[in-house]
Amino acid sequence: MLEIRNLTKSYGDILALDRFSLDLGKGEVLGLLGPNGAGKTTLISILAGTLADFSGTVTFQGRNLFADRALKNRLGIVPQDMAFYDELSAMDNLLFWGGLYDVPRAELKRRAAELLERVELAGRAKEPVKKFSGGMKRRLNTAIGLLHHPDLLLLDEPTVGIDVQAKVSILDIIRNAGASGTAVIFTTHQLAEVETTCSRIAIMDHGRILAQGTLDELVRIVGERDIVEITGEFAAGPFSEALQDIAGDGIELLSVADNLASLAVAATEQIPRIMDRLFRRKLAVTDLKIKSPNLETVFLKLTGRSLRD
Amino acid sequence: MTMRRAKRILHVAGNDLRIMVGDKAFFFWTLAFPIFFIVMFGLLYKSGENAPAVAELTVVNLDEGRWGGYFVEKIKAPNLTIKTADAEPAEYSRLLVLPADFSARIEARRDQALAFKKRSGASVKAAARVETRLYQSIARVISELVLYGEGDLTKFLDGHPEFRDIVRVESRFPEKTVTVVPSGFDHSIPGTTIQFIMMMVIIYGGVTVLEDRKKGVLARMLFSPLSTADVFQAKLLGRWSLGFLQALMLIVVGKIFFGLNLGSLPLALLVIAVFALAMAALSVFIGSLCTKEDMIIGLAVLLANMFAGLGGCWWPNEIVPPAVRRVAMISPAHWAMDALHKLRFFQGGFADILPNLGVLLALSVVLAVVAGRAFKIRD
Repeated sequence: MLEIRNLTKSYGDILALDRFSLDLGKGEVLGLLGPNGAGKTTLISILAGTLADFSGTVTFQGRNLFADRALKNRLGIVPQDMAFYDELSAMDNLLFWGGLYDVPRAELKRRAAELLERVELAGRAKEPVKKFSGGMKRRLNTAIGLLHHPDLLLLDEPTVGIDVQAKVSILDIIRNAGASGTAVIFTTHQLAEVETTCSRIAIMDHGRILAQGTLDELVRIVGERDIVEITGEFAAGPFSEALQDIAGDGIELLSVADNLASLAVAATEQIPRIMDRLFRRKLAVTDLKIKSPNLETVFLKLTGRSLRD
Repeated sequence: MTMRRAKRILHVAGNDLRIMVGDKAFFFWTLAFPIFFIVMFGLLYKSGENAPAVAELTVVNLDEGRWGGYFVEKIKAPNLTIKTADAEPAEYSRLLVLPADFSARIEARRDQALAFKKRSGASVKAAARVETRLYQSIARVISELVLYGEGDLTKFLDGHPEFRDIVRVESRFPEKTVTVVPSGFDHSIPGTTIQFIMMMVIIYGGVTVLEDRKKGVLARMLFSPLSTADVFQAKLLGRWSLGFLQALMLIVVGKIFFGLNLGSLPLALLVIAVFALAMAALSVFIGSLCTKEDMIIGLAVLLANMFAGLGGCWWPNEIVPPAVRRVAMISPAHWAMDALHKLRFFQGGFADILPNLGVLLALSVVLAVVAGRAFKIRD
């Protein structure tokens, strides 16, 4: 349904997308994980048609996405901004935004009412949106992108800064969209969200996909090793130096920052060796956790930094 | 342009208009506040009264011959009521006294003086109308005397009624002379309308362009089949509708409460429509350029007041020195007000306001091109 080939976009000297390629099929829900500055929003903006001056091709339903404006009728986009009219009611917002697409008026009204039910805003459909909480606005923002039954739905961090109830509601919408055959690309910082919502996960950084697959496929990248997470009062440099001579011997330093480091170990028996090296260098350890490999570990391994970076 | 595209543009423009009109302060700024200006300037430039429809003339005919009565008959006119009196009455508006030797002097072909008096406080314009009629009558009688020579004119006319009134003396003002003095409201309503179109369209139109851009609303529109050019056209149309709607409201209020007369209403609306288009383009330009709401409001107030004062919205530019009138040409308001004055005060038609329409249209095109280039979806 969607084929992205060698999409490249620069902002001056900064390469935001670097020959980015991706395929997406009908009903697939792809979670696009990446730290800030990875290029997620740039990708969504290019697909949405609000960014120019890039190279590469995007084919949607067999046609050039950027050459055929009518294709926009099949595309639903939920931006990171709460981009709607605060002065209007939720219902009026839906009718306005839906009116930009080729949806018959009666069908649009029916669809707007149905979506308001689904995002649990039906009871406040006629209130001005400016009276809504952040979570309610975020749900409305999402509903607007779904009004015209798109075949491809792009969501740019749709769960940022909202309460649990709103988050659950939005993730439900995404799952339902996928189940009804809509292909979805959804960018986020939240590992748990993609773990529970997406049929496929792609990890991107520096404008490229570093790895993609199902959760199980990605976890296998780290292998059958335990993850040791060490917290303490140390700087990244001395920590790396302390483990320099034992790294590679069944111990892999996944990431290290001041006060926090992650290592993959072939066996937990190697942990005393690690602690010994740290104590000799007088590096204070305040906490140590042993975890099974998960998506976060994969992310750390691939990007060398956590999603918080 | 396809039907669907036009429909989408209208959809966005209509929504913009709805949001701007829906603002709780909208009616204060676009109706209540301008009405205050209208009343203030309307009363300030209140004209003296216009001449009454029928002017009254009291004639004291002391003539001992036949010519006095003949002359009074000649004075009669549909817009003149003649009262006769035997002596000068205590109360009158205008008084004509025909002396006892009126006929004798005519027959002797001697000149004579007639006393025409106006009560202080009586309409000057009605007096002027009566005076004009008197001159016409005198001219007719003299012409008849010349035509029929020395003979007995009265007898001649009795036998030949078809020759009566054979001389017609007409008086009229030179073309484009102000014959009916407009009310102060006929100036203040168009003036205030033009001023507030500038102010409100730039403020509301500019601020909403800025807000839409900052909130990502403009960018979201591009997710739909709308192009940037479509969004720009929709913004232009929305702001034009705002200006035109405001003008319509003030004109309706002006007609109902202040007896507004614009001369030719369709042509006046055409002038206002083209002017509103120029202001719509200016508002999109300013909204695209400014990054803060305060900047737009400050700029709008400054430009609107400067253009209004210079352009003749506050006082008729016909009364300012020629040098100031020349400078006023830099104000878009000047071209609109000048056209509206031509229509109302100088009985102008389409041909008379064509240069004004041309300038305003050219200005609209230039501003639209500049605004189109400055228009941006995101900061």
